[in-house]
Amino acid sequence: MPMSLRSAWRNLWQTLSSIKTGVVLIILVVIFSAAGTVILQRPMTDPDDLQRAYSPAMLRFLDFTGLTDVFHTRWFVALLILVSCSIIAASVQRFPNAWRFYARPYKSPDENFRKALPTHAQIPLANNDEAQGLSAAERAFRKLGLKSEHIVRTDSFSLFAERNRISEMAVYMVHASLLLIFLGFIVDSLYGWRGFLMLSPGTASNQVEMKNGSLRTIPFSIRCDATGEDTYADGTPKRWWSKLAVVEGGREISRKEIVVNDPLVYQGLRFYQASWGRTGKLDRLIVNATPASGANRSTQEISLAMNQTVALDADTSVQLADFIPDFVVQDGRVYARSKDVANPAVHLIVTSKKTNTSVNVWLPNIPGVDENASSPYIFDPKDLKTGLYTGLQVSHEPGQFAVWAGVVLMAIGLTFVFYVVHMRFWVVPVVDANGRTLLWVGGTANRNRDAFEHKFKTVVEEIQMELKPELVACAQPKVTSITAAKIKISRTTIAGK
Amino acid sequence: MARANVEQQPATGNTLIVMVGLGMAFLLFMAFLNVIKSGSLLSEANLLYAALIFYAGAGSLYLGFGVTGTDSYIKFASLMTWAGLLANTGAVAHRWYEAGHPPFASIYEMLLSFVWTLAALTLIAEKRYGVKVIGTVTMPVAIVGVILMQLLPSEVRPLVPALQSTWLHVHVTLAMLAYAACALSFALAMMFLIQDNMKTETFLAATSIFTVGIYAAVLMRFEKWGGLSVVAWDAQNKAEVFISRGVRLFVTIPDLGWLMLLVFAAVLAPLVLYVVSRVKKNESLLAIADRAVFISILLQTLALVFFLLRVRNGQYPSLDAEGLYATSLAASPFILSALVGGIFANLLYLLLLWRRADLERLLPDADALDRITYKTICIAFPLLTLMIAAGAYWANRAWGSYWNWDPKETWAAITWLVYAGYLHMRITRGWRGRRAAYFAILGFAVVMFTFFGVTYLLPGLHAYA
Repeated sequence: MPMSLRSAWRNLWQTLSSIKTGVVLIILVVIFSAAGTVILQRPMTDPDDLQRAYSPAMLRFLDFTGLTDVFHTRWFVALLILVSCSIIAASVQRFPNAWRFYARPYKSPDENFRKALPTHAQIPLANNDEAQGLSAAERAFRKLGLKSEHIVRTDSFSLFAERNRISEMAVYMVHASLLLIFLGFIVDSLYGWRGFLMLSPGTASNQVEMKNGSLRTIPFSIRCDATGEDTYADGTPKRWWSKLAVVEGGREISRKEIVVNDPLVYQGLRFYQASWGRTGKLDRLIVNATPASGANRSTQEISLAMNQTVALDADTSVQLADFIPDFVVQDGRVYARSKDVANPAVHLIVTSKKTNTSVNVWLPNIPGVDENASSPYIFDPKDLKTGLYTGLQVSHEPGQFAVWAGVVLMAIGLTFVFYVVHMRFWVVPVVDANGRTLLWVGGTANRNRDAFEHKFKTVVEEIQMELKPELVACAQPKVTSITAAKIKISRTTIAGK
Repeated sequence: MARANVEQQPATGNTLIVMVGLGMAFLLFMAFLNVIKSGSLLSEANLLYAALIFYAGAGSLYLGFGVTGTDSYIKFASLMTWAGLLANTGAVAHRWYEAGHPPFASIYEMLLSFVWTLAALTLIAEKRYGVKVIGTVTMPVAIVGVILMQLLPSEVRPLVPALQSTWLHVHVTLAMLAYAACALSFALAMMFLIQDNMKTETFLAATSIFTVGIYAAVLMRFEKWGGLSVVAWDAQNKAEVFISRGVRLFVTIPDLGWLMLLVFAAVLAPLVLYVVSRVKKNESLLAIADRAVFISILLQTLALVFFLLRVRNGQYPSLDAEGLYATSLAASPFILSALVGGIFANLLYLLLLWRRADLERLLPDADALDRITYKTICIAFPLLTLMIAAGAYWANRAWGSYWNWDPKETWAAITWLVYAGYLHMRITRGWRGRRAAYFAILGFAVVMFTFFGVTYLLPGLHAYA
């Protein structure tokens, strides 16, 4: 049955390449993507919100059909691939014709063509001199910036001039660019990934957390040297920045300060400033310490890091033992309620070498827990610096270059499609029924025909102008009246290409 | 009969010019007194006010031209549009200078730029293509835009980090240009349908469907016992009130819902009458339908007035929180523009109903309109493409991916596909005339949904505008 197989293949090919199929596929894409913007999508919504929005049976149905994640389901990708196939098939089917048109332009119009061409004119020639007419036309074309070709056939001479033939190929450029963009899309959905990297200043990591919670090791480390936030006068954030360094094999490769809108790129991986905040871990505590008794009651400012011990005088020292970002007291003990720096408390231990005693000081004082009253020093908190973190979005999109190339190609292609007109002119000497020789001038353009009519008129007028001096040289007043004869420009139809 | 009408009104009528001139002189004088009191001449508010006065003058003259066809109106109308555009340019420049970035960062700034583009395009369409009546449609839109701007929070807000990119300006400029071109192609397609001898009652059906859609959308916020929910507004901070991240607080205005329901019935009536007349082939019902349109305009105006009054002052309860909360027109710009848009569409229908012959005389012929529509789309489509590309490039720098399937992105792609479909049908299938015009109208409907609907109805990353 090879015949039927072949005919089935041909049927399939014809269906795929028809404009109807293309339109149906595009309508399907439109419907499903619109559905994807109306139905809540799993990647962007909280699971609880989804459960609140739909009944369990509905949610099961939506999940089963993939409507809760339209843009990543197999059938949507399959639909996009079908659209690509349709574009390819339609282009391939129409291309040979267009290519013939492009590669072998129609240069010497026969009588049928001359009759059917809507835009044409006939200019009477003095002395029935073909050669004179053609050379005048050639000069006219040169004046208008068109290069004309002599077409020599066994029985005739004629002229052919054209401009922007490439415009005939522009549609294929646009289609090719669309395919390039799709290719980039497919590559990215197959090989691309996105993850998250959280760093505190001074730390480095090569472990990227993926969306599903797993870790991915990248071949180099990113070190954060500093991070911060600049704000406007009213306190709204102006800028988040992070100073990053790429470390590979223990060696620092490069450094960059990234901000929102300006990522770090290394080995095809991009690191974006995505979030920024405070960790809830203590970075530095500044307190004023004043002796509780004695003659010398001068105040000193001390700065403490976690677990750091600082000497206050020869005998006494203080250690920062604990930091609780959001404390509550229950049954005489201090607990942390959350990791947000909402209600912070610090635990200091003041030790005396001589007596070998230590006192638990809490800031602020917590009755029943602290021993602040028996401390040899009074502490007054000045500043609390909690740790910062920078949240980096990591993405690997190897297909994006195809996408950008496609975009550029499309911009060029569309410019050609809409604004570059392929225009053609033919000049053929013909003999009319009365035996007079006329210069038949015809022209056609593939778009913007109104403007072309204008252009055509100029061409005809220019040819007349070129003919005139020769007529003057002939000094035959009788002939001048012929040039003044009405030029007939007929325009039978505008419909159809 | 309509022809006879034209002859009855000889093209002398300078009364309108005098009246509009006097009115504007009065308004300008009042504004001048205000300026003396406040002491600052070239502030943005003053410039905007001047623009409003000029646009209003131009709008009434364009309307006068649309109704009577007096050619001298158009000259003065263009002059006023020029003056308004000048004042508007001043306001844009002032804003740009004050904010330090092109005015695209908030709805207020976008409207400022949009009105500017609209006025400029009106002048271009008038001078370049000779579509003189276009001001009849675009100037009222510009006026509504400027009035809306007065209601929206206008202080210069610093840009949040994600918006600090040159690509934003490229993206938004292209979007504005593309959308303005789409709007123009829509207006031209409508004019084509008039010139293509589409029946007046078909326009009746279209405007009725449009208005019914508007009130159906407004009634989506209908609450039990006749209330209408609107977003709560914090007058002090000039901001919407949020219960939690991304969840707005709604307040319920009692009884306003009933009124909206009544108006919904009133705008539904002409549509029902039209359908019945089609089914029963009874032409006399259409005359009743036209009267129903007139009544519905009155009721719509009533609804607008009550909406303005009730929303402007008063404290209302909320379903989600205890106590009373205020709201403001600034909190519901979309409802407001929908109500105004509904009235506007119906008035345009009445204009068509009463002055069809004059309109047909004034508009370019159907063939020319068809070609100009196509040309406008030939400009809009590459702009749309570049807009999406610039947006993708910016998203790639800001969010880490060039395509996030965010609702706004998806709808922009859908818009692109619809116009691509139009071009294919036109170029390869030779679609001309009606079918192409319907396609152009569909395209603009999708554009409007992308611009307003997505912001208002669908959640997403494009929270800025």
